Amino acid sequence: MSQEILQPEFSDEVFSQDVDLDEMRATERKAKRQATVRMIRYTLLKLLALIFTVAVGVYFTVLIANMGGYVDEIRRGQIRETIVLAASLDPEFRQLPESERTAIIEQRVANEEARYGLDRPFILRSFSYLADAMTLNLGFSQQLSSDSGSRLVRNIILERLPSTLVLFGTSNLLLFFISLFFGLTLSRRYGSISDKLVLGLAPTSAAPAWFYGLFLILIFAGLFSLLPFGGMVSAPPPDNPLDYSLSVLQHMILPVGAWLISGIFLTIYQWRTFFLIYASEDYVDMAKAKGLTDRMIERRYVLRPTLPNIITQFALLLITLWTGAIILETVFNWPGIGQLYFRAIGVFDIPVILANTVVYAYLLALTVFLLDFIYALVDPRVRIGGGGEKS
Amino acid sequence: MENKNDDKLLEIKNLRLHFSTRGGTVQAVDSVNFELKRNHATVVIGESGCGKSSLAKAVLRLLPRNIKTYDGQVILAGEDIMALDDETFRRTIRWKRISMVPQAAMNALNPVMRIGEQVAEPAMVHLSLTKKEALQQAVRMFEQVGVPTDFVYRYAFELSGGMRQRAALAMSLVTLPDLVILDEPTSALDVLTQASIMNLMKRVKNQLETSFILITHDIATSSELADSVAVMYAGQIVEVSDAFQFFSAPLHPYSRKLMASVPRLRMDVEPEFITGQPPSLINPPTGCRFAARCPARFSKCDEEPPMLQIGDRQVKCWLHA
Repeated sequence: MSQEILQPEFSDEVFSQDVDLDEMRATERKAKRQATVRMIRYTLLKLLALIFTVAVGVYFTVLIANMGGYVDEIRRGQIRETIVLAASLDPEFRQLPESERTAIIEQRVANEEARYGLDRPFILRSFSYLADAMTLNLGFSQQLSSDSGSRLVRNIILERLPSTLVLFGTSNLLLFFISLFFGLTLSRRYGSISDKLVLGLAPTSAAPAWFYGLFLILIFAGLFSLLPFGGMVSAPPPDNPLDYSLSVLQHMILPVGAWLISGIFLTIYQWRTFFLIYASEDYVDMAKAKGLTDRMIERRYVLRPTLPNIITQFALLLITLWTGAIILETVFNWPGIGQLYFRAIGVFDIPVILANTVVYAYLLALTVFLLDFIYALVDPRVRIGGGGEKS
Repeated sequence: MENKNDDKLLEIKNLRLHFSTRGGTVQAVDSVNFELKRNHATVVIGESGCGKSSLAKAVLRLLPRNIKTYDGQVILAGEDIMALDDETFRRTIRWKRISMVPQAAMNALNPVMRIGEQVAEPAMVHLSLTKKEALQQAVRMFEQVGVPTDFVYRYAFELSGGMRQRAALAMSLVTLPDLVILDEPTSALDVLTQASIMNLMKRVKNQLETSFILITHDIATSSELADSVAVMYAGQIVEVSDAFQFFSAPLHPYSRKLMASVPRLRMDVEPEFITGQPPSLINPPTGCRFAARCPARFSKCDEEPPMLQIGDRQVKCWLHA
């Protein structure tokens, strides 16, 4: 029946030839190939710009972490104090004449300072710090050591990273997908009771996760003794991998719960508002007028145009996992990166601070770099300089 | 499919669409009665904010969230489509029988979908065509409305305003509906493009035997296409007339003022304007709604005038009683 409808009495010459869809596609492909060359040049430039940005950011961190060189003074003081103390405890040393003792102490201090590189001016050293950091030559920590006793910054960080990733990966992925789903659902039910409820509960996010964590610990660990107070695994750790995972899972319930309570309503509210704005675009009304089903409208006219934003949110979320959360980890005594960062700042352990920063900077730069390509894949409006736009 | 002898395609009876807002109830469409013949084009004219676009939305049931009242009858080829439930309405009316070209056709295209796909979509949904068949149909429509056929693989941002407008028109025709509602389809375009789109619609009307409701405030351009004219003021229709008689001698004082406001190229006539503003659609005045701005008002105008039948024309004004 539909075939009959399709043959209105059009003027004949218009349909003298069949429409060749394949040929049209071929023309489009040719244009795409030309764009590839432009794209490679763009990619290289973009990469250079990003590396430069990372370098600038890391250099600032070098300056700030050293308090513009003042940390050197602190370090010199520490060195002198340690050496004088060590020397004064040595009975042989005490019998030496005054001038000789001073000479020996000065010699030892000079050696130690040379070991830390303190004999060179800070400004020169700042650049060698930068070079090391940029090449991910993370070196040795000055104060902290890993639980297994290693002073290698790489080991210290790698030891902490998995626990942070497990906790915040779970929390944030749950938060992201739950809020995305409910945000979309609520945007469809604007003004309903559930919508108003979420709106009313959104201010709960004003309090941070650790705040809710305290109450959760109080209730579920203190009052009811259902769940552990903190830590990552029960002591002693179970040998069986299955039991070990179950134990970790059990320890994760409260921190993940705290994270969700603190984030969920505001994030749902944000997504709901975001989708509401995009659902009031003219082309969405048009899709409705076209008699498409609600599912088609949602998929093609709401989700697809907003995909770049959703992907951006997701990518940014992935890299924030790297930093952990200082206070939440402390409250739950979770052996993660956040705690490590906090301790490193407290004792001016510059290599550890720098390592944290430079890895984060690289992850961020990489994300930005990849996002550009993902945008181009999901959004045809994102094209590289020149070409296309006529209006 | 329908009874071809009945040349009445669309009949609107006592259609009301009121919105509730913070300021009160907006009577955007208030007791509108209106008929449209098959293969006819009716132009609905009036100032901005007099309910023209709301009328279009009411017919296609594209309602905002804050509706207060939505009742009356919309009879399409003998069937009251207001009585249909939402799902049936979507499947059997939207785009299958009635389609539209929206006011901002520039923004009516999804920025991340190829134009052809969007144009073909209704044909896939309502005519159950395969994607390929639907795309072929879209290409045919592109030929009809003068869009280069390779544009089916382009995106909206790659098209000029005029081309997007044409694509929107092609989209409205792709299922060969009985009725196309055009909501100010040319108001954002330059005069040359306007003229070519008007010619295009004339041709489409003759070739595809589609009926049009053309909503506009551009009287000069619309006179090209119109078979009949409906004048809307403050949510009500105040005059219905066939186009020829209307353009030579409008009956309602508002229609006369509207006609007088059209600039003329050769004649030494100053375009007139109507003093004041259309009344707020929240608590519109009782009696004739145009009375406050009407140069011919008299004591009777405090009462609401009935729709008077004068020959085959209708006018809502005491002057003709």
